[in-house]
Amino acid sequence: MSKLKHFFRSYTLKDLLTGLRITGKHLWRRKVTVQFPEEQTPQSPRFRGLHALRRYPNGEERCIGCKLCEAVCPAAAITIDAGPRQDDGTRRTTRYEIDMFKCIYCGFCEESCPVDSIVETRVMDYHFEQRGDNILTKAQLLAIGDKYEEQIAEDRKQDAKYR
Amino acid sequence: MLDIIIDFFIIGTKIGLILLPLILAVAYTTYAERKIIGYMQMRVGPNRVGPKGWLQPIADVIKLLMKEVVIPSGANKGLFLLAPILFIAPSFAAWAVIPFDAELVLANSDVGLLYILAMTSIAVYGVIIAGWASNSKYALLGSLRSASQIISYEIAMGFALVGVLMASGSMNLGEIVKGQEGGFWHWYWIPLLPLLVIYWISGVAETNRAPFDLPEGESEIVAGFHVEYAGISFALFFLAEYANMILISVLTALFFFGGWLNPFQGIPFIEGITNWVPGIAWLLLKAGFFLFLMIWLRATFPRYRYDQIMRLGWKVFIPVTVVWLMILTFMIKAGVGPWFTGRGVF
Amino acid sequence: MTVESIVFYVFAALTVIGALGVITMRNAVQAVLCLVLTFFSAAVLWMLLEAEFLAVTLVLVYVGAVMVLFLFVVMMLDVDYASLKSGFTKYLPLGIVTALALFGAIYWVIRSEVLGDMPEPAKHSAEYSNVTVLGRLLYTDYFYAFEIAGVILLVAIVAAISLTFRGRRERRGQSVPMQHQASREERLRVVSMESGPRQDAHLRKEEEAKKKPKSKRKKKTKGDDA
Repeated sequence: MSKLKHFFRSYTLKDLLTGLRITGKHLWRRKVTVQFPEEQTPQSPRFRGLHALRRYPNGEERCIGCKLCEAVCPAAAITIDAGPRQDDGTRRTTRYEIDMFKCIYCGFCEESCPVDSIVETRVMDYHFEQRGDNILTKAQLLAIGDKYEEQIAEDRKQDAKYR
Repeated sequence: MLDIIIDFFIIGTKIGLILLPLILAVAYTTYAERKIIGYMQMRVGPNRVGPKGWLQPIADVIKLLMKEVVIPSGANKGLFLLAPILFIAPSFAAWAVIPFDAELVLANSDVGLLYILAMTSIAVYGVIIAGWASNSKYALLGSLRSASQIISYEIAMGFALVGVLMASGSMNLGEIVKGQEGGFWHWYWIPLLPLLVIYWISGVAETNRAPFDLPEGESEIVAGFHVEYAGISFALFFLAEYANMILISVLTALFFFGGWLNPFQGIPFIEGITNWVPGIAWLLLKAGFFLFLMIWLRATFPRYRYDQIMRLGWKVFIPVTVVWLMILTFMIKAGVGPWFTGRGVF
Repeated sequence: MTVESIVFYVFAALTVIGALGVITMRNAVQAVLCLVLTFFSAAVLWMLLEAEFLAVTLVLVYVGAVMVLFLFVVMMLDVDYASLKSGFTKYLPLGIVTALALFGAIYWVIRSEVLGDMPEPAKHSAEYSNVTVLGRLLYTDYFYAFEIAGVILLVAIVAAISLTFRGRRERRGQSVPMQHQASREERLRVVSMESGPRQDAHLRKEEEAKKKPKSKRKKKTKGDDA
């Protein structure tokens, strides 16, 4: 009896029609696409996007060249050279580069930084046009930091109680 | 001499009148496919190029034309470039015998049905040569899959068409449609229902469409036989695949759904108010439905496994068609109406 | 010069070129493709003679099926062309003699019919249907021969299968009908469980155990209700 039932079920294509009905219904469902540049999904203050180097409010760069981020970076994307600065002799980085092709956006550099210098911003739609542009230099990172400082500070404040 | 040139010119114009709308239809079939599948997956599909994305296919064409044709090292250059042409030529040539209306046909051939079968079977050369000439293992695997699939399903398809042939008593596509005169219930889809289903599924398999798109199986063999093709040579494969889709849809409408005939024939009032609709509009409407069904299938079903495809073709479809051909013989000999009235012998 | 004669000369030339290609091509795959070209052009020539049905059948059967399988085999073979050519000069005299003998035989048989002036094939009226005429001939005058040919083909199929069939193979394979018979009811059990915080569940359990040592943990299990 079950054989007969199965025979009819397979030759009337019941299963296939059920599948078609489901996709047919979805044709009329509300679409959930987010039209990206015009619409954006909400972001968490912990969002990990493009990197930036921050400054203190007085304009002094935060980074002290401790190289903790370089050490913790699992992808070995960060390269730092450090030494005493010419005018005041404080320890600063002479070179601070991030290879964005290597970076996996894990956020460990941010976690490890004792002075909240290296951070990841909310910026996630960026691109490179020339070979070599993928390596962000210290000047570029500082510029990004200057540009988004307000947002960065706000996000850090919101997240402060969980750190 | 002059009349020869005029002859060629007239034939060329007719061919152009079929092919240019066909190419445009192909372009917008890709658009429709992306939109419909998008909608079925609760996305919106392409909507950036032009209003509502209407210019998307144009942009695609321009992109494909501008791209470089890469010839892989170790490839057989001549055959590599010949393959797309061998693939697209039969799929265009098959349109020669398609009747768009009672009088609107390029070649009113008495062996139209066989001619179409022959053309679709030639297309397999493009696939095989593309796979072999690419000097690539994925391409070769894809072409082997595709070729065996096309050959297997051609048999089931041929048998299904034998049913149409028996029902209409002619291989002329125009005669087949004329045999279905008399409204919705007079079309062959009712007495030939199993053959219709088999023809349709074989058609989907023969055009290498999902869920039978093994030859292109992205998850296993990258893109199958056309993995090494880029730019315009890839565009030709693409064009041919979609032209074949449209061809199968039109053929289904012709064989089983009365081609250009008005579905309301014989219904007193509606027939009167739909008489002004030209036959070609009915044909395109019916073909459009099957095209939509093909896209619908792609959005719904997962890909078949290779041995399942072969099993379905050889062990299910061919026996079913043979059985139904016997039943059909009895139906014709008994003169079952309204399709076979007057042909009975009992 | 009519359209037909242009078509004839073009495709006659293609037939000859294709046939020459079959025996001169170094690559076996290309040779097979030349054979396909020959068949195809021959089909066009038949079409010119108003033998539509035969022409299309030639394309369908030979080009569409037989040559595809041929191409398969040739593609899969790894032919060593150098060793194939090694004995060429040694067998050349024998080959020439054989070719001449064959050619002479063909010439002797058909000279009277072909080598004179051929009359142009008669044109038929518009109602003439190649298919009808052929079918009528096959199923009346040549019915016996036709059926015998069919039986011979059937025997050939059975013979081919019995030659290659080596009994059931002992292997673990999937049985598609059995896979189809499988139902959700016998494979899947949906269990509805109490939802709750996950990360600190073990801590809560300890706390509960302290508060109410005797309370039992509840867990509902249901059958298939999806």
